Amino acid sequence: MPHLIESGEGAQYLLMGNEAIARGALEAGVKVVTGYPGTPSSDIVERLAKVAIKMNLYVEWSTNEKVAMEVAAAGSLSGVRSMCVMKQNGVNVASDFLLHLAGSGTRAGMVLVPCDDPGALSSANEGESRYFARLFEIPLLEPGDFQEAKDMTRWAFELSESIRNPVTLRSVTRMSHASGNVTFGDIPSEDVHAEFQCNGFMLDPMQGPALSMPVIYRHTEQQKKIKKAREIFENCPFNTYRGPDKPELLIITSSACSLYSREAIRILGVENTVGLLKLGTTWPLPPKLVKRYLSKTDKILIVEEVLPFLEESVKILAAESAYEIGIKRFYGKNDGIIPSVGELNPDLVAEALAQILAIDYQPVSDEYAEKAQRLATLQVPPRELTFCPGCPHRASFWSIHNALQLDGRKGFVCGDIGCYSLAMLPCGFNTLKTLHSMGSGAGLASGFGKLGSFGFTQPVLAVCGDSTFFHAAIPALINAVHHKSNFTLVVLDNGGTAMTGFQPHPGLEINALGEEVPSVDIAEVCKAMGAKVEIRDPFDLEGTRETLNQLIEDKHGLKVLILRQICALSPEKRAGKQYEMTIDEQLCLGDRCGCNRWCTRIFRCPGLVWDQQKRVTRIDDVICTGCGICADICPEGAIKRQEVA
Amino acid sequence: MKVFGPSELLEDVLDKDLCIGCGACINLCPYFRSYRGKTAILFPCTLPEGRCWAYCPKVHVDLNELSKRFFGRAYDENPLGFHRSIRISKAGGHIANASFQAGGTVSALMSFALSKGYVNAAVLTDRDGLLPIPRIAVSPKDVLACSSSKYTAAPTLSALNQAIRGGYDHIGIVATPCQTLAIAKMRSNPMGDKDFFDPIDLVVGLFCTWAVDFRAFESFISERIDMDKITKIDIPPPPAEIMEVYIGTGKIEIPLDEIRKLVPKGCNYCMDMTAEFSDISVGVLEGRPDMNTIIIRTERGEKIVDKAQKEGFLILDDIPRENLEHLVWAAGNKKKNAFIKAKQEGLLTPREKGAR
Repeated sequence: MPHLIESGEGAQYLLMGNEAIARGALEAGVKVVTGYPGTPSSDIVERLAKVAIKMNLYVEWSTNEKVAMEVAAAGSLSGVRSMCVMKQNGVNVASDFLLHLAGSGTRAGMVLVPCDDPGALSSANEGESRYFARLFEIPLLEPGDFQEAKDMTRWAFELSESIRNPVTLRSVTRMSHASGNVTFGDIPSEDVHAEFQCNGFMLDPMQGPALSMPVIYRHTEQQKKIKKAREIFENCPFNTYRGPDKPELLIITSSACSLYSREAIRILGVENTVGLLKLGTTWPLPPKLVKRYLSKTDKILIVEEVLPFLEESVKILAAESAYEIGIKRFYGKNDGIIPSVGELNPDLVAEALAQILAIDYQPVSDEYAEKAQRLATLQVPPRELTFCPGCPHRASFWSIHNALQLDGRKGFVCGDIGCYSLAMLPCGFNTLKTLHSMGSGAGLASGFGKLGSFGFTQPVLAVCGDSTFFHAAIPALINAVHHKSNFTLVVLDNGGTAMTGFQPHPGLEINALGEEVPSVDIAEVCKAMGAKVEIRDPFDLEGTRETLNQLIEDKHGLKVLILRQICALSPEKRAGKQYEMTIDEQLCLGDRCGCNRWCTRIFRCPGLVWDQQKRVTRIDDVICTGCGICADICPEGAIKRQEVA
Repeated sequence: MKVFGPSELLEDVLDKDLCIGCGACINLCPYFRSYRGKTAILFPCTLPEGRCWAYCPKVHVDLNELSKRFFGRAYDENPLGFHRSIRISKAGGHIANASFQAGGTVSALMSFALSKGYVNAAVLTDRDGLLPIPRIAVSPKDVLACSSSKYTAAPTLSALNQAIRGGYDHIGIVATPCQTLAIAKMRSNPMGDKDFFDPIDLVVGLFCTWAVDFRAFESFISERIDMDKITKIDIPPPPAEIMEVYIGTGKIEIPLDEIRKLVPKGCNYCMDMTAEFSDISVGVLEGRPDMNTIIIRTERGEKIVDKAQKEGFLILDDIPRENLEHLVWAAGNKKKNAFIKAKQEGLLTPREKGAR
């Protein structure tokens, strides 16, 4: 991304929202950037890591979001601007520190950028980071387009410095990953000097120690800051109105929803009757501004995704000023006109508008909808979520599944967040039976492993990825060892934070900047805790299965099996195939007794294709990665592998 | 007879806990695997007909059909099954000393069959600690390594399927009654395979009243005895009512009532004590720990016994009348009890339709 730093003021580029945020941070002179990978947020730190050395930034992928926020806060407290980036549920992880940081206050500008995922397109939840603003009393900004994504980021640092507290700039998937034109500003070139001044008077916000105590004093100070932010927001250029002076209906919205609302107004041609108040500062709301627009009409529609966060804030203001502006009729989440789950889109907003304004509107005709449905059913091949061809997880779960079936005591696997979450589906042989937050597989297993005295006899397994191991599994493992909980943790070590794009983690000898760094050995960490540790290559299917059976038969405490095999999409693996795979059609039993399509019906690597005509398996050479393990599962030795020279 | 598939096998046998882990369904396909004495199905197979169902001794079996095929006559009420003669026997001087159970007749017969080329592979059951391990023996020396009773239900037929896959075409096998029934089913070509070939030339059946479940037995024994020190296990003939576990020079006696709790459920419905579908069946002889009872059933069985005797591998004698009477009583008793139990639990009705 050389244009992120090589082009100066006035240059215009088509940027992803995340790139716009990165550029905004550069224009603000950010120096410390931290985060933990998580879609849709990851690109921001990645882009800044690429320019870090040239721009003299410190950028790191932290062990988890809480540490990321602590590292970023150290920058702010030492007088350099810092930014901390994560996906929505990352804020949950960081929240304990954030609560205290909001109490102690910050010094140089510090911006928290959570990227929410309404509709859970790349998440196991559609959690809301907006509520932390209200919960912890931190200003919340939400860009409504790509230019704003850059400009508001820059402005967020100034706001943070003017109130000396962290500021949240919240994005969503359709803001982070969609693109739009962005006109650049300048990047400052002045040097900074980092020093933590902490020997001043205890209550001095800039010279004293950084403490959230005395709590009542600090909390009072914090609320004064929020009051100041509210005043600033009254005249903030990111709160805009378009539409008639006396609209029939007022839409109040923010973020990507402002784009949907604009489009919906255009689709219905109601530019002259519907007004659109787009708020960039959604907590605390500027009361005078909101009251001014509320008084323009009696009907108000709040357009936002997932929970009624904005709706509640607006309703409070409306209730407080009802004696001045009169009683209003509200539309939104509570009356169900806007769904409370999933993403919105222009159609959904248009349908809501049409319903309120009694306009006859159908996004698509019944005939079209029916035809589309019919064609989709008939002609679109079913494509379920699956592991990539050559994915080590398929091999790992194959062995885990088979070990549990052979064991026969109804054992199960507690999972967590990663590509391996898919093991709840047929591609992972439906092996995964719990799925919650990162590291929670190990924590749940620690609990299941203590139920023996109540007659619990099922073998318990947990899985976590290598990055997840560092992020959140370690405390659960320590808990298990200390309390003599009986379970087996399988670390699916694929050599990086693979799901989000191979970001480095503490187990690797490289950091976000590409520098050589010391690595932390997962096996040694587990051994030091007192766990029994085994390491296998998951592509050794029978060896892995055998080790698993031995470990789950061992009833004494925590066992750890590290399955090491690099992700099939990693740059190293993509360089070439290890094996060229072929099928001996004479040997292939196909769907006859003795096989019944073991490879294409059960193992289901996408590189193996069932040939309906010949009734044999065929290799899809285009997508086969040449990992070779299907040769080991074929009962007849019909799948042949030859090492690529 | 109508053949069903793995879904029905799961419903009729595995889900009802009737599987005794004989190994008949193992090594035919990747779906069924035996692990530590238990048969597991790794993934569901959807075929409407399969060898797994066709070979299983615990699904519906038409004994008349099998009896006609192997003995040329309908299945009759003789508690000892069809036979040509009943004698008593022990290993002859041609057999090296080994840790035999009783008279060593089984080891003698298999060693003889292998050394004279009647069979080119013998499917036997060895053990590792208490875990029974099916083996393919190709020399008399291998046979002796597998001598002595196991008492744990063993997936021996997995090694038979393996030997057949490996191309052995003259196979001898030592099998329990349930296993000999499965072998008879296999040999009757239930799938109607056009290229069918019967590679089994000698079936030596073992008398059996029940076996113990390996996993239950191991956990029972390991709570009482250091398993590494066990040298031999024996259940002396009635009325002893004990199991003897030999450890180094001493032995520990366990009341049989405690051991019977470890018998797999499937054994309760077994009507066969003397392995009626064998060529030759062998068991203990009450009151004579040095001898076996031997039931000769088929012509080829008779031929091998005669030759083994002539060549000094086997010593035969007449069976005392009271022993024979007791054998008939015991075998009839097992049949009666199993029949009553199976009838009570509705297990005697053949399946008509495929699995739910």
